[in-house]
Amino acid sequence: MMKPNPGLLLAALSALSLTSAMPALAQSANAAPDSASLDVPQLFATTCGWCHSDAGRAAGKGPQLMHTQRSDDFIRNRIKNGKEGAMPAFGSVFNDAQIDEIIKYIRELKPREG
Amino acid sequence: MKRKPRNFALPVAFAAMLAGSSAVAQSVDTARIEAGGQNDWLTYHGSYKSYHYSPLAQINTSNVGNLSVAWIHIPGRSTRGLQSMPLVADGVLYYTGSYSRVFALNGATGEVIWSYFPELDEALIARQTHSPYNRGVAIGEGKVYVGTMDGRLIALDMKSGKVMWDTKLVDSQKLTVGFTGAPLYAKGTVVIGSQGGEWPGRGPIFGVDAATGQKKWEFLTVAGTDDAMKSWGNDSWRTGGGGGWMPGTYDSETNTIWWGTANPAPLYDWSGADYKTQGARPGDNLYTSSVIGLDVDTGKLKFYHQELPHDAWDFDSAVGEFVMLDRDGQKYVVHPNKSGYIFVYDRNAGVKNVWRITQNSNFVKNIDPKTGELIGRRDFSAGKVSEPLCPHISGGVSWNAGSYDPKTGLYYKLGQEWCMTLEVMKTTPIVAPQAQLNIGADFKIAPPPGGEIYGHLDARDPITGVKKWEVRFPEPPLASVLSTGGNLVFVPDSRGTLHAYDAESGTELWNHADGTGHQGGIVSYAVNGKQYVAVVAGFGGMASDDYAPTFGGVYKSMPRDDGALIVYSLK
Repeated sequence: MMKPNPGLLLAALSALSLTSAMPALAQSANAAPDSASLDVPQLFATTCGWCHSDAGRAAGKGPQLMHTQRSDDFIRNRIKNGKEGAMPAFGSVFNDAQIDEIIKYIRELKPREG
Repeated sequence: MKRKPRNFALPVAFAAMLAGSSAVAQSVDTARIEAGGQNDWLTYHGSYKSYHYSPLAQINTSNVGNLSVAWIHIPGRSTRGLQSMPLVADGVLYYTGSYSRVFALNGATGEVIWSYFPELDEALIARQTHSPYNRGVAIGEGKVYVGTMDGRLIALDMKSGKVMWDTKLVDSQKLTVGFTGAPLYAKGTVVIGSQGGEWPGRGPIFGVDAATGQKKWEFLTVAGTDDAMKSWGNDSWRTGGGGGWMPGTYDSETNTIWWGTANPAPLYDWSGADYKTQGARPGDNLYTSSVIGLDVDTGKLKFYHQELPHDAWDFDSAVGEFVMLDRDGQKYVVHPNKSGYIFVYDRNAGVKNVWRITQNSNFVKNIDPKTGELIGRRDFSAGKVSEPLCPHISGGVSWNAGSYDPKTGLYYKLGQEWCMTLEVMKTTPIVAPQAQLNIGADFKIAPPPGGEIYGHLDARDPITGVKKWEVRFPEPPLASVLSTGGNLVFVPDSRGTLHAYDAESGTELWNHADGTGHQGGIVSYAVNGKQYVAVVAGFGGMASDDYAPTFGGVYKSMPRDDGALIVYSLK
């Protein structure tokens, strides 16, 4: 029998909506407001990185994102709607501002040092 | 727009005539599956003994050179290829394509007897990662059973394809995961395990009444008992992962379902060596990465062995093979762990031996062959991991099955040699609005130290692991293996070639191009005295999607949305 866990319920969307430094209990269970910022590196280590290898720096199941020539509109559309059999659709998970943060992260990707 | 379910059936009289032409059609029940008649392939693993072996010997070492294509079936919409294990009963072949499309075909001609395309929650499937492939059906009590990606188990009339019942088992809209694995039929119960692993749920395995579709029981692989609950610190069981996404088997002597469970979430923990008290999920995390024995009638846990306590590498136990064999008065169960270590148990999951099929392995120094204890385990802290982890996340062995030939006494199993670099990172489980993957690291495929990635077919003693011969492949084959009474071992490789080897020597005797890579099942059966070998071809999925960027070559142009069932016989 599952008991309600306030910490978990309130932590809904935590990694997506708020930076990880915030304690879970302080986070909102509601969808993230437009101004909420994403911890995109953590998001890649949580979800995206299975396919976009090395946090988007290398090709894997999905394409390499670092230095991509795709336009912002293309990337935004792909994140929202996915591609059958290749990329899940995240349109119900991220708002436009959050997707813009993901695009910003992709544009700033650099090879790892060392 | 949602599609309507399609159900195309030839007149029932035709189906009856077909069945009557090959054999007297009988009901498929537990006793018949147990007996494993040589003309049929009645359950995912061939029989409850999980041999993936056919005693048929019409196709053999002396005439395999005359093997040629008898017929082909194209299921369509093979998104991420074909991964199904066909079943055959009384001359009718049943198999699935992506999106749980089910086909019943004349085993001699390939003619479609009926097909069933379920109406699925396509918006949900568009949000899934380990999807929309399907790995097959179960048959029993005049019905064909198939799981769906949106969390349902459906029973179809074996003769007509008509829906007999449709039971929702998993809240996939919230948990995001559903069913890709084949169900198992045994003793009036259909057993099916949910996806899970890196998904923050509790990984249920279900027992459903075969006659009515009513759920009989549910076993939670994450903290499914009070004792297990204590092995998850900080309430981490709430998002623990687990699951059992491949079919196990049934031991009629003890009335027990054997099942392999998936890994905990996140895949990679940042606990360091103090994993009992630190990190994302402090403790052993029962019953993840374990083999479990459940009472088939009640789902009650009878025994278990956790192959990897606190699995911190995603080397789970979900492989469904439980090879049951007797030797010198002892009854053994052989089960491959994804890490490449092969566990040998008694019939209560007591460890009798552990051996390893891979060359490149460093997540532990060893596993004690007497106790199964992990020796010298590598538990990571957050940050870059200095030495590459071996094997790669795709495993030392695939989820697909090997084959045990009781005539040669050899176990034919594919091993995979590859590694990965990784940087472990702290994550937070995402459970709303829909659950998301929880990996816990950034990673990249890497060759083994001082060498290249490769795969190998080994012929080994299943109990001791002693190797008799090996055949190497430039890229790891991912499909299932078949051995037959004709002294043959069939290996469908990743490039798309089906190979036949001499079971005693490993000498290649025949091969044929199937046009695209293999990553699913292969079976043999007979209709009207003629032997057939059926294999699915069609590439794509969590392991094979890495092949194009890693290996290039033929994989660069290999489709990941296509596939065919190809059936061979002698000319």
